[in-house]
Amino acid sequence: MEERLYDLIFIARPATPEDEIKKVIHSIEHACSEKGGKIEKSEHWGTRKLAYRVAKHREGMYYYHQIRTTHGELIHELERRLHVQDAVIKYMTIRLDEDLKRQKKLGDKREKRAARRPRRPAATPAAPAPEQQTAAS
Amino acid sequence: MAEEQKQEQAAAPASAPRAEGGGQREGGQGGHGGPRREGGPRREGGREGGPGGPGGPRRGKRQYFRKKKVCKFCVEKMDLIDYKRADILSQFVQERGKILPRRMTGVCARHQRWLGVAIKRARNIALLPFAGSAAGATAPKAVEAHKG
Repeated sequence: MEERLYDLIFIARPATPEDEIKKVIHSIEHACSEKGGKIEKSEHWGTRKLAYRVAKHREGMYYYHQIRTTHGELIHELERRLHVQDAVIKYMTIRLDEDLKRQKKLGDKREKRAARRPRRPAATPAAPAPEQQTAAS
Repeated sequence: MAEEQKQEQAAAPASAPRAEGGGQREGGQGGHGGPRREGGPRREGGREGGPGGPGGPRRGKRQYFRKKKVCKFCVEKMDLIDYKRADILSQFVQERGKILPRRMTGVCARHQRWLGVAIKRARNIALLPFAGSAAGATAPKAVEAHKG
């Protein structure tokens, strides 16, 4: 199976003690290492205001992880774990790699076009530019 | 307006303005975006001038000149609209959380599509409101950790 990149965000209750959060994060890491996933990024966004009430809370602590894995079950497992945790009031996993692939494709296209562009504008001033381009490439 | 004037000035060497236009279109990657956006005001002008006829459009355009809206994402050459950037997304929703239509924001079709997806994702994780909660006063802040 090919590798996939996922975003995992979870929101913890605003007044959760730190060791409990650590427990949650540890369980994520544990599941990842068990199922052959890799945590690429892990961030703490701090306490933010929620756009709407979640479990009667108006604020929440955001934790963000980026996970690369070849096993889809890992995501199921992570979601199951987060679901069980009392400290976690909301979580979301999103598959990212397709969007990133598209981004890369479009970026490459743009670069190619940018490389081609100097030829277009009026003949005389632009003439030397393409030669340089070809020489460079 | 400023843009037009610039173009007129540059019009002396005959092919210059056309090249400029081409550049814009490439930047906007929406060959479709350009002309369609122009179409908006023109149609409206025609309507206001009465349901007259096909002669209307030209006059309408002259009378109701409106600043041409450009897709923000095209200008910044964003190929990915990040759902985590609530500060950007919130510019494209109403106070109560509705997604603004393209005709108001000038976003091109492609980016509007992505934008919709991003906004819906952000809603899911409580970065943006679904509806109601007139918490327009508490505009979502940027995710600091993410800016760098």
